[in-house]
Amino acid sequence: MGDAAPILAAHDVHRTYRFGQVEVPVLRGASIAIGRGEWVAILGQSGSGKSTLMHLLGGLDRPDAGRGTIEFEGRTVNLGAGRSLDRYRNRDVGFVFQFYHLLPELSVLENACLPGLVGGWFGHARAAAARRRAGELLEQAGLSHRLRHRPAELSGGERQRVAIARALVNGPRVLLADEPTGNLDATTGASILDLIAAQHAEGLTVAMVTHDASVAARAQRVVQLRDGQVVDG
Amino acid sequence: MYAALLSNRYLTSRVIPLIAVGAVALCVALVIIVVSVMSGFLDMLKASGRTLIGDVIVSSGIGGIPHYDEWLTDLRALPEVEEATPVIDTLGLLRMPYPSGPSKEIAPVQVWAIEPASFARVTAYGDKVWWRPPADEDARNAMLPDDPRLLMDESILRDGLTLSQGATGKPGIVMGMHVSVGNARQSDGSYRPRFGWFMPGEEVTLTVVPVSESGKISEPRDATFPIVNEVFSGVYDVDKSRVFIPLAQAQQLLRLDAAPLYDTTAEPDAEGNLPLLGTTPARVTKVLIRAKPGIDALVARDAVEASWDAFVAKAARRSDRLGRPPERVSILTWEQQLRDLIGPVEKEREMMRILFSIIYIVCAGLILSIFWSIVIEKTRDIGILRSVGASRLGILWIFLRYGLAIGVVGSLAGVGIAWVVVDNINLIHEAIGRDAPRAAWITTCALAAISLAMALRSLLWRGRLLPGLLWTIATVTLAVVTLALIGHRGTLIWDPSVYYFSRIPSQVDWFNAAITVGGGIVFSVIGAAIPAAKAADVDPVEALRYG
Repeated sequence: MGDAAPILAAHDVHRTYRFGQVEVPVLRGASIAIGRGEWVAILGQSGSGKSTLMHLLGGLDRPDAGRGTIEFEGRTVNLGAGRSLDRYRNRDVGFVFQFYHLLPELSVLENACLPGLVGGWFGHARAAAARRRAGELLEQAGLSHRLRHRPAELSGGERQRVAIARALVNGPRVLLADEPTGNLDATTGASILDLIAAQHAEGLTVAMVTHDASVAARAQRVVQLRDGQVVDG
Repeated sequence: MYAALLSNRYLTSRVIPLIAVGAVALCVALVIIVVSVMSGFLDMLKASGRTLIGDVIVSSGIGGIPHYDEWLTDLRALPEVEEATPVIDTLGLLRMPYPSGPSKEIAPVQVWAIEPASFARVTAYGDKVWWRPPADEDARNAMLPDDPRLLMDESILRDGLTLSQGATGKPGIVMGMHVSVGNARQSDGSYRPRFGWFMPGEEVTLTVVPVSESGKISEPRDATFPIVNEVFSGVYDVDKSRVFIPLAQAQQLLRLDAAPLYDTTAEPDAEGNLPLLGTTPARVTKVLIRAKPGIDALVARDAVEASWDAFVAKAARRSDRLGRPPERVSILTWEQQLRDLIGPVEKEREMMRILFSIIYIVCAGLILSIFWSIVIEKTRDIGILRSVGASRLGILWIFLRYGLAIGVVGSLAGVGIAWVVVDNINLIHEAIGRDAPRAAWITTCALAAISLAMALRSLLWRGRLLPGLLWTIATVTLAVVTLALIGHRGTLIWDPSVYYFSRIPSQVDWFNAAITVGGGIVFSVIGAAIPAAKAADVDPVEALRYG
């Protein structure tokens, strides 16, 4: 973790999935602490529990009951009500997925400002601000000429840039990236990592899951995950 | 805010929701059209039924109401009453002027003996006398060239209104339009004499049976009346059987007029006369009352009831004269009087409304299945929305709002369709009644040929099954429509000569339309609620991983 104060941490988290009668333990007491402004890569093989850990850190999922906690800025987030987790996902963290996960019916600009539209019935001023901020982020990502295009009209790299703009539009303090270059060629992948690096340079905390050591090398710190446990880092 | 954006985008960027909108629109339109036509029919029936009975009807037994003229004076003084008129209601046999086999036709009739002037003030009798010259140039232009009324003058109307033959001064009879078989109803709702049997000017013999106050039947009596006019009320039972004669003649025929009463138990005097006990008063069996404008019929009925009680009490104190009014008479409003006529139609309308409301359930089921498939298709989108902070209620609201939008748009479109159809229902009916225009079937034939070409192109050249199937369905449908149009020889569904009303009611029942729109919206939201709840329950992790 270095000298940076932890902003996001997982303490001894367990997560078991149930498929019918079969229980599959994915995380078995994984712990990780991510410092403020740090860029951490979580490296592991397929099935090691990387994405599950990412979902837990991002409040999309909760650890098994009584078996581990997720802390954000010293506050336990996984014990709160559903609404507090919704708010945590909306304001405090931003997700970037391997397959971009853009909504096909919305334009590039609408996809990017989506988190700004979530979280209020009468948020017109907030929506306007989100549109402004999304426009700026898309301009930084070199997509100002694509604002009214649909995701289907974009390349993979462009889609991932839109996904990054969407993740950052509400000004989160942590970016959670799940295999952000996993679906891209090397050159495009590098440009995406450059974009993340630029945000990190401005003080954004980044937690990035990958199985590619060369991608993980762009991070300040690499954490190894094996069989549901952090074994190195 | 994102819910509005997404539900609007889902609504406008896909075809399936448009099918749901169309289904809701058709359901709503169907219910509004059926209920509007039936409500219009009911209103016409009520208006016609009320035409000849006023607002409140007082009916006594066969003994009649003695001293009715005194009570009429009391009634006319009531603040709730505009006018009151006496009537004798009895049964009779009418010997028609035309033959039935070797003898003249005999028709059973319901005889109403009236004072024409006051009867016309209480009822719409004056407007319903049929044979009359056209009131103005517009009415003249609206009549077909062979309408006999075009050649008539005011005298026939005057005779009808006074129940008296102007030329001879004889008391006349006015018959319901269908008492005589000589009147043939036309497609425009007017009448022409059939077999040359034009009734006004002919004579009929009316036979009635006098019944004494005690219910004893006397020898039948008859009288001959010239037919001075005919009346069309719009209610078949009335027009088929009712005839109107002057009250004075009926009182004489039925022995309900004022007459000296002799003591038959006493010995005659030297000149053979029995002692005179007094004079029995003239009687009537009904009194019809018209309420003052703005006075509800029920309020008027209550006032009439109170007046009757006072009249009976006053008569009981008069021991110096003959004839006591019965203590109990039937006092009904026009709606109560017509309940046998209106009730079944009202029940029929409600039954239709209930049966057609089942369509809502079909509509809700359709929306449910469409939304269910949309939710399954949009599972990944739901996961994405949850990942950016959308709450479960927010997801629920997207789909409820989506259903609401479909309900509102569909229902309003349904009102529009219904309004266009109902407003033009007579034009549509007339078009159905004619042969299909050649241009129509040539057009559908050409469209069928184009569809066939497109189907062959899709199936044989491009090897695409779905568009090929859709074009084939279109071809078959258009071919069937073309054949139907070629074979169509005009179908008159609402034949005025049978259905009595010459026009199909064409007023939208806006109150029921509002209820129907509300139902359409509610059932659309209900249909959307179950898939919406399923969407809200979607696990975001599974949605993102497997959606």
